[in-house]
Amino acid sequence: MEYVSPEGLRLDGRRPMEMRQIRAEVGAVSKADGSAVFEMGNTKVIAAVYGPREVQNRSQQLNDQALVRCEYTMSNFSTGDRMRRPKGDRRSTEISLVIRQTMEACILTHLMPRSQIDIFVQVLQADGGTRSACINAATLALADAGIPMSDLVTSCSAGYLNSTPLLDLNYVEDSAGGPDVTVGILPKLDKVTLLQMDAKLPIDTFENVMQLATEGCKAIANYIREVLQENTKQLESRRGT
Amino acid sequence: MRGPQLSLNQTQKLRLEAALEKLESFSSKANSVTVADTIPVNYEDGVLKGHGTSEIDGSVVATVCGVVERVNKLVYVRALRARYKPEIGDIIVGRVNEVAPKRWRLEINFSQDAVLMLSSMNLPDGIQRRRTAVDELNMRCIFEEGDVICAEVRGFQHDGSLHLQARSQKYGKLERGQMLTVPPYLVKRRKQHFHHLDQYGIDLILGCNGFIWVGEHVNTKDPTEEEQASKSEQEQVATKLNRNAASLEEQERTYTPLETRQNICRMANAARVLSTLGFSITVELLIEIVNLSISLKSDIREMLGSEFCVLVAEVEAERRSAKIKKK
Amino acid sequence: MLQSKSFVRKTKQGKVVKVVREHYLRDDIYCGASICQVCDSTGARLSPDASTILILDTNVVLNQIDLLENPAINEVVILSVVLEEVKNKNLSVYNRLRGLCGNALRKFFVFSNEYHKDTYIKAMVGESPNDRNDRAIRVAAQWYQKHLGSATRVLLITNDRENKRKATEEGIIAETVESYVKSLGQPDLLDLLVQPAAGDVSMEDAEDMRPSKKKVIYSEHKPMSEITSGLHRGIYHQGKLRVNRYNPFEAYVGSESIGDEIIIYGRSNMNRVFDGDIVAVELLPRDQWHEEKSLSIVDDDEDEDDNVHLAPSSADDAPRTTNIVQASSADSTSAPSRPTGRVVGIIKRNWHSYCGSLEPMPMPAGNGGIAHALFVSKDRRVPKIRIQTRQLGNLLDKRIIVAVDSWDCLSRYPSGHYVRTIGQIGDRDTESEVVLIENDIDSRPFSSQVLGCLPPIPWSVSTDDLANPNRQDLRHIRVFSVDPPGCRDIDDALHCTLLPSGNFEVGVHIADVTNFVHPGTPLDDEATQRGTSVYLVERRIDMLPKPLTEDICSLRADVERLAFSVIWEMTPEAEIISTRYTKSVIKSCAALSYVEAQARMDDSRFNDPLTTDLRNMNTLAKIMRQRRIEKGALTLASAEVKFQIDTETHDPLDIGMYQIREANQMVEEFMLAANISVAEKILKQFPVCSLLRRHPSPTREMLEPLLRTAAAVGLSLDVSSSKALADSLDHAVGDDPYFNKLIRILATRCMTQAVYFCSGDLSPPEYHHYGLAAPLYTHFTSPIRRYADVVVHRLLAAALGLCKLPTIFQDRPQLTNIADNLNYRHRNAQMASRASVELHTLIYFRNRPVDTEARIVKIRSNGFIVFVPKFGIEGPVYLTARSEKGSGEWTVDEQQQKVKKADGSVSYSVLQTVHVHLEVVEPQPNRPKLQLTLI
Repeated sequence: MEYVSPEGLRLDGRRPMEMRQIRAEVGAVSKADGSAVFEMGNTKVIAAVYGPREVQNRSQQLNDQALVRCEYTMSNFSTGDRMRRPKGDRRSTEISLVIRQTMEACILTHLMPRSQIDIFVQVLQADGGTRSACINAATLALADAGIPMSDLVTSCSAGYLNSTPLLDLNYVEDSAGGPDVTVGILPKLDKVTLLQMDAKLPIDTFENVMQLATEGCKAIANYIREVLQENTKQLESRRGT
Repeated sequence: MRGPQLSLNQTQKLRLEAALEKLESFSSKANSVTVADTIPVNYEDGVLKGHGTSEIDGSVVATVCGVVERVNKLVYVRALRARYKPEIGDIIVGRVNEVAPKRWRLEINFSQDAVLMLSSMNLPDGIQRRRTAVDELNMRCIFEEGDVICAEVRGFQHDGSLHLQARSQKYGKLERGQMLTVPPYLVKRRKQHFHHLDQYGIDLILGCNGFIWVGEHVNTKDPTEEEQASKSEQEQVATKLNRNAASLEEQERTYTPLETRQNICRMANAARVLSTLGFSITVELLIEIVNLSISLKSDIREMLGSEFCVLVAEVEAERRSAKIKKK
Repeated sequence: MLQSKSFVRKTKQGKVVKVVREHYLRDDIYCGASICQVCDSTGARLSPDASTILILDTNVVLNQIDLLENPAINEVVILSVVLEEVKNKNLSVYNRLRGLCGNALRKFFVFSNEYHKDTYIKAMVGESPNDRNDRAIRVAAQWYQKHLGSATRVLLITNDRENKRKATEEGIIAETVESYVKSLGQPDLLDLLVQPAAGDVSMEDAEDMRPSKKKVIYSEHKPMSEITSGLHRGIYHQGKLRVNRYNPFEAYVGSESIGDEIIIYGRSNMNRVFDGDIVAVELLPRDQWHEEKSLSIVDDDEDEDDNVHLAPSSADDAPRTTNIVQASSADSTSAPSRPTGRVVGIIKRNWHSYCGSLEPMPMPAGNGGIAHALFVSKDRRVPKIRIQTRQLGNLLDKRIIVAVDSWDCLSRYPSGHYVRTIGQIGDRDTESEVVLIENDIDSRPFSSQVLGCLPPIPWSVSTDDLANPNRQDLRHIRVFSVDPPGCRDIDDALHCTLLPSGNFEVGVHIADVTNFVHPGTPLDDEATQRGTSVYLVERRIDMLPKPLTEDICSLRADVERLAFSVIWEMTPEAEIISTRYTKSVIKSCAALSYVEAQARMDDSRFNDPLTTDLRNMNTLAKIMRQRRIEKGALTLASAEVKFQIDTETHDPLDIGMYQIREANQMVEEFMLAANISVAEKILKQFPVCSLLRRHPSPTREMLEPLLRTAAAVGLSLDVSSSKALADSLDHAVGDDPYFNKLIRILATRCMTQAVYFCSGDLSPPEYHHYGLAAPLYTHFTSPIRRYADVVVHRLLAAALGLCKLPTIFQDRPQLTNIADNLNYRHRNAQMASRASVELHTLIYFRNRPVDTEARIVKIRSNGFIVFVPKFGIEGPVYLTARSEKGSGEWTVDEQQQKVKKADGSVSYSVLQTVHVHLEVVEPQPNRPKLQLTLI
């Protein structure tokens, strides 16, 4: 199948190096300490953060750092065919773990000992790249909750189809079965905190694809930063002196 | 962007936007930063890094979103939306979560529960003495789970837990009123957090932790009475049955007049409006809004509607601009 | 830059699901006209002085692709909506169109109107997708006109009347294809036009002029829905249809649902199919399962000529009829006959263009007008095709290419249109060209991009090559090559030195082609496509450009060349002690021909070191060969012939059997050994992505004709294993010296061909090479002329850690594709070679009628098929004249493979020697053919 036309356009009209349209909004859940909605094209994810708060299960309490928990769910209505999704299936457990580990890497957990931070992410619409969208939404929600972090984690995926590296695969491209590299970076520290790929790719091609995904992460980081900056400014100005 | 989650019609939207824009124009070009922004500092003077900062590669970097504050050498980031950060002497409102040996655990919007030791509070009889085992057994007579309490931050113990104290008549259980929660950054630390609003016959406690108490005025002179809390229309107040069956007479005595109850609701809604709009919450402002609502003869219920909200935003914008002009 | 618009689409896949896809509209899509001021013209394809720009409708593209491929059509804008529709309707047309758009010489520009912010349109409520697309085309046309201004005329070409009307209403200039082509003033272009079907803008139908003939000849094809449900219920069977090469009215459908081949006899049962179509077949009732027809050589009045042709060299080439029937004539009840069916519908057509000539016909009276003619394809599997032409007189004696357009059930023959002329019939160049086209061989000169990948000429081994630590300097070793005389592309050389230990060091040095052909370059892509060099009688079509083939890679004598070497240490008993692989630099000291090498070995007067090496090698080779045969390798024989070509006229001067000498066998032995060693090495390193070659064991049915023939002459062959077969072939000695070879030739014919495959696609037991009795085999020794060897070179280099494995090896489907393409090209190359030999045989016998000896190889009811060993040809000999067939004068004895005259006076049996007369006759003008008659 032809995923990139000889004219250099993808199926949805993007060029290989282009991301989908992204949109982020903080403060989507009023009861939560921090929350955000993140959209990458038709992928839409909502995240809510509670905490730091008292540890619910005392036995899990850590005396030197905060306990980070994460729950990823996919709404029944998130895909084209509505289906009941069992809780705690392999895929969502895995993604929960991935998000938790990625976020733990940037939260300054040692500042909040004996407490617990809960991150809930839910996919409202799935169109490829949910993993990345979830991480971006979680970052925003954490920042909104005022939880100290060493850096903003952002994530983006890239794939390799028709011998072309493609940024930010949508569902159709994702289901082509080609390699799909999900990268999460700390843009300021220039470190990689997440790197996943479940296919084979020659190392030099892989480097190109990963480079592309990293560029994507940086673009997302800039956008997220803008959103947060704007949000902070507004909060401050409304609050008044 | 974060916005009040109200359903606005087109004109309301425009008015709100205009008001908010106006507010925005007043704000001093605040030094707002987001996570991982570098904070410019003058290293020659020496720098003390405060909350919300860390050092990466020799430069000071923010770890939260907020406003950079500088006090002499100290540089810190004042986080806006975050949980409560206790400081010694803060007056807080909290809710009892658990009755534990010799202590109560209170939810105060902090990263962990606060501890109120039995020994850190005055006994109902007002006598200073050692706490006996009997006192310990009767702890539930003082506070039960779900009770709303006002206390003062005593300090951190060496094990990192937060301790409270309530060694004054003004602290203790709060009844016949409602508690509401607002983001803590909207409550400023002031000299006075207890407010007796005579004209409405209500007490207002602006807890530093963002918990706000609005209740019927009680005379602190006789605080020992145990009464059955009146059931307000709000969800907040826990009912508690006295050990003795409540007699009609007693009910008569604890009856809160309708007018006071309405005032409580009006005041609470005023706080809610400010909270939705993200305006800082002060007594003056609250009273102003209550008066506004009374002058408009608007229903208590309508105070939470979009129209009133927009109105408050406009009034606030006017007020602030007037204040600036005065200067 | 990103402007987003989501649209909602409903698709039906069993259940209805709502599909929401993003659709980004852009402002950076350019018009492709180089005069345009607004757009970025770097990718522009339309020339600056174009006064008219054509925009085509989908149906125009689908139907008139041959016209579009004509260079007269230029300045065309292909809209992405059209491309998409074409892709969905006909992939081969799509590929051709893509080829056109990619061709730098043609001015075809693809405009992505679906992604342009001004030309994207949303489907209106109640609008069918077709109407929406038509509207999109009109909107784009309008945009173009507005965009380019009045200086350029934007012409919408559509044959849809409604679309044309709407376009005119919207102020777009629109024309039909016919009127546009007419306006060009090139009458021969009109022949390229596809005749519109009845529904379109009307033109007089050919059938209308002969109303009397208008009757239904074929049954109507079933509609697709019925076929699908029929397949589902198991009434119909789906499969790819293959037409018998020797009888166009007999076809086979390999059906998975019944696990056997379904035979389809006769024109009406075949119901308008073409070879390669995917069809739905309905089985006939059991009592109709058998038909007598297949036994006779020719039986249909349509089918006049069963040509004399080259003897087939493997089962793939042989006629398929032989093994179907045998018992029925005697007792027709117990026959285990095979399923017979009829075609009810065609799922996918395999129409393409065909090569052939027009059936001779008198010139119509009104010269210059439109004439109808019947086209006869060279490929006998293709039915005659009816075409319309305005240049009949011109085309009658030409080889032409014709494409099929339609075939409705009212007409006996499909209708098509003329594509182009190749040349005069019978002309050698024309006929060679036909051979190439028929076998899909690209004989065009290499493009400049490909030639750009070549190293500068004159090339010599550089110091860098010598300094390379991975490249061993073997220039001091006495290396030599042995090849056919006149060989210019020498890709292998050998050496053999006596070691102090008494062992031999034997080296096989193969031209290091991969040093020059790097993966991913245009050169490599071209070589991948060509797959192999093709050897015709009078010319060679190279896989790699000439400088590489004949100079840089060719291991010529007395020049330093780069090589990839396999070096063994062998005991005098030819046991391999160690194997070493290395890239090397060699300097060949002699390029011998087989004859020279043989002469040196045979002549005891030669005692120079080179001859000693040769003799040592020959001794080793003989041992190795013996050992191989003991393991069960088959010694098969082929009826290869050799032409002597006149250097001036390129006409064949003499023809004879190819002689195999000991020297040939010696070289072959070492090449086999090298290939096996390399196969072991690469498979060990890359178990799933190696390219190997396998030869499947023949099944019993495949060997059936051989066994039957052998049994008729009282010979029993054991075919239980290759070893058993080899032994029994050895024992098959008849009274005359040629008998054994004949049996071997017949045996070879029963085998399938060896094929390339990707090791990951099969399990190790299937890797077996039957003919060589080797568990593993690959091709390593001829990288100049076979692409498979290039692939293997890369694998070996990667296995040795000399270079990285190219990325393509990680992609198994792609590797499988390469292997399939290689098999396809390889087979085509062989077919082309055979066709070329056939062609030259004909030319040779044109003025040389000959009487010669022949052997009967197959018995038929009205004659037999003979094989002429001297010329390697095979053809029918008729005992009865064709007009009086079925007279019953001759009877066939299946058991003894004999044909007897009714009175018993004369009989012919299989393998018998007969004398025949060979002569070229011309029953029709311009149709020479070779005829065999019994003396």
